[in-house]
Amino acid sequence: MGFSFMIPSLLLLVAFFIVPLVFVGEMSFREGRLPPPGGGLWQNYERLFFDSFYLGVIGETMLLSVVVTLICILVGYPVAYFMVRHAGGKLYNLIIFLLIAPLLTPIIMRTFGWQVLLARRGLVNEWLQSLDLISKPLALLNSPVAVVLGLVHVLAPFMILSIASVLAGIDRRLEESARMLGAGKGMSFLKITLPLSMDGLGTGAILVFMLANGSFVTLLLLGGGSLQTLPLLIYQQFNTTRDLPFAAAMSNALLLIAFICLFFQLRLIRRKGV
Amino acid sequence: MAQMAEDTRERWLLGLVTLLFFVFLIVPIVVVVMVSFTSATYVSFPIEGVSLRWFYRIVEYEPFANSLWVTLKVAFMSTVIAVMVGVPAALYLVRAKTPATEFLMALLLSPLSMPMIVLGLALLFYFSAIGLGISLMSLIVAHTVVGLPYVVRTVAGVYRSAPPDLEESAVILGATRWQIIRYVVLPQIRPGIFSGAMFSMLVSIDNLPVSFFFGSPSTSTLPVVMLSYLEHQFDPSIAAISTVQMSIALIGLVFIERVYGLKHLGAPA
Repeated sequence: MGFSFMIPSLLLLVAFFIVPLVFVGEMSFREGRLPPPGGGLWQNYERLFFDSFYLGVIGETMLLSVVVTLICILVGYPVAYFMVRHAGGKLYNLIIFLLIAPLLTPIIMRTFGWQVLLARRGLVNEWLQSLDLISKPLALLNSPVAVVLGLVHVLAPFMILSIASVLAGIDRRLEESARMLGAGKGMSFLKITLPLSMDGLGTGAILVFMLANGSFVTLLLLGGGSLQTLPLLIYQQFNTTRDLPFAAAMSNALLLIAFICLFFQLRLIRRKGV
Repeated sequence: MAQMAEDTRERWLLGLVTLLFFVFLIVPIVVVVMVSFTSATYVSFPIEGVSLRWFYRIVEYEPFANSLWVTLKVAFMSTVIAVMVGVPAALYLVRAKTPATEFLMALLLSPLSMPMIVLGLALLFYFSAIGLGISLMSLIVAHTVVGLPYVVRTVAGVYRSAPPDLEESAVILGATRWQIIRYVVLPQIRPGIFSGAMFSMLVSIDNLPVSFFFGSPSTSTLPVVMLSYLEHQFDPSIAAISTVQMSIALIGLVFIERVYGLKHLGAPA
């Protein structure tokens, strides 16, 4: 099978993937709407990186992704550990199915589910009230809490699958040796298992961070404007302001973050020697 | 003995965390399915009565029915193109041993790591600039770019684990290149093609960030119509159409599991 087999796919990607991205790159240097005419080549980027509002948006985007990634690690690690170490045969397959099935449920559906649960008279508020934890319903919807819940719900399975695939490959004799040499359960976990599973944790963290950075449906429907992130702003620029050069500059900033993540991901894969 | 008791305690504790996590994962989905069967005119949970009226509304409300048709057309066409383009590439990349293969593979998979909103914006700018504008064709091409990595990845995965001996024997026995592909390679990678195509289709059906940029009466896909509906109204018809869409995806997933096995999907990237 010669190189000719590659040609259709390369043509497709060059014409409809690489060239369009270059095109956006060029677009981002055109004159935007807001700055006075003659603002220079980098005007859109200057506005993006020096205006405190937009700088705040970039910061909020990153902060949200970091929080979501940390929660996914905290929630995902125990689940991955249980799945690899304690769930045999049928239960293991069931867990895999339960992890992958939600990945294929429509994104709108999951968001809608949270809207129903978190509404003023939704299930969560009613539970909290019946337990006498709160006296008045909380405004859970359209808040950062709702966004984080929604994103963890969508992204945690990616983290779990990444950690589990590495945990499964750890030689358990290493832990047993540590235990025999007198290390306690916690010590052998901290000194042996956790460091050995760092690759999976890293891959999962990069993946989740990257996906959280680019997500906008969850933010749009659950955030209700309480959080401003880059994808949300791109959506708005496109929908209402129609300042395309500036949208292009924001899109490039998002792309740059993705490239940095990709770079770390490739380094991790290399180190594993796959 | 102390160690065994410790292990049992660990198992129960972790089991509990896992159980709670899956409750968290599944409850929002189950809630939507239940709401879709409500007889009330508003969204409430628990539901008050059971009826199929909201499923009927899907058929009645024209944008839903129309966009479902657009969605299926786009998913099918983009997948057909992705398979035609992606399968040969996967075959080449698995067997070729040049320094460039790693780079080419990364290139073919790279749309996966792209923020979808970036890709959507870029393709819209580009299609408008070259005069294709918003059309069914440009939407199909956009979805092909998104679906291609799924096809390449699954086909390459299956082909990589197929032993090369069979092809070598066929060569020795004098088979031509096309005979080898037709009678030796294709039967071996069929499960990979099938699963990759299934994934490409499922991803296309649920794609919102790319499709969003291609909204027009004839090119709005179901998720785009659902999003704009949700931004203005909040009634159980969204639950009903979600339930339908999820059923389609679940049937697809069961097929993939039968043909390919979900275990292989465990490792990302």
